[in-house]
Amino acid sequence: MQDREQLERWLASEATGQEDAADAAFAHLFAAVPKVEPGAEFVDRTTARVWGERTRRRRVAVFGWAAALVIAAAGSLAGYLAAAPVSAWAVKTGVQVMSHAMPWLVAYATEAMTLWWVAARVGNHIAIAIATPPRAAALVAVELVGIFAFFALQRLVRLELRGEAHV
Amino acid sequence: MSVPPSDAELAKEALAGSDAASRALIARYATPAVNFVFRFVHDRALAEDLAQEGFLRVFQRLNTYDPERKFSSWFFQVVRNVTIDHLRVNRLATTSLDELKEAGFEGAAADQTSSSPEHLAGQGELAGALEQALARLRPEYREVVVLRYQEGLTHPEISEILGLPSGTVKTYLHRARKELASILSSKGWGPRLNV
Repeated sequence: MQDREQLERWLASEATGQEDAADAAFAHLFAAVPKVEPGAEFVDRTTARVWGERTRRRRVAVFGWAAALVIAAAGSLAGYLAAAPVSAWAVKTGVQVMSHAMPWLVAYATEAMTLWWVAARVGNHIAIAIATPPRAAALVAVELVGIFAFFALQRLVRLELRGEAHV
Repeated sequence: MSVPPSDAELAKEALAGSDAASRALIARYATPAVNFVFRFVHDRALAEDLAQEGFLRVFQRLNTYDPERKFSSWFFQVVRNVTIDHLRVNRLATTSLDELKEAGFEGAAADQTSSSPEHLAGQGELAGALEQALARLRPEYREVVVLRYQEGLTHPEISEILGLPSGTVKTYLHRARKELASILSSKGWGPRLNV
């Protein structure tokens, strides 16, 4: 009977748009809805799984550290043994490659700089020809319109994703 | 009379390796977790499995928990993610119960039409009707109702769990209550409301 009165109070609050009263009345009413309880063994089972997982992770961590130490030691040993012959070969080859590559590098860089200056001069002349104040203003206006449209579209999409477009 | 340790304290002890603290935390959140997941999947065994997965993930990531935050918010966020991952993998839509039914998810569809008499026997008639009406809501409305009115979380906490603005949470709650009122009214529990 008391529930029925509470229900009537809630429905009346919803109908008249009294948000706080509706919230309070509904909270009181909803307290009667039972929670879905887990089985009797749920806590024991879950605790056992959590402990098992923790033990497994500890074992994996210990194994991982041990494996990393072995690999590091083996790597160090192999590096020490191979260092002398390999490093001499590497230095010799590096010097040879550098000495052969340097003239080509300088030549290509010089050619590239020449082309760059030519392109820059051409671009400069074109810009002087077309960049009158009215054209520049029109260009800025078009860019502003584009930015505004993009911003508005982004806002709309965000609202739509949140399901608030019609709120 | 000693004060029970807070969630954050238990979490800290559990992180330090205390099995007793881990167990206490699991016992404290077992019902909220299973109840919350059940509202999505409508299958008790599956809800228990997913809640257990949630606990595993919580304990795996306990080192990332910030004690400044409320533990329950963080906990429900993790459990919710586990549930959503499961629903995604199983290609179950989370947008509407009708879609769940179309996808052949009988567990979810079962509560839309009726609850078993045995299920209703243990609770009041109105509580049973409310539970049935709750099962007919869209999942996003259902979860805010459960978090607000069963777990007693505040709007900012729910907003943090769901990753939604607080205003949207309030809107969802308002609409959910309206829909519940409409469903109950249509079942003869009161005057019909225009939603």
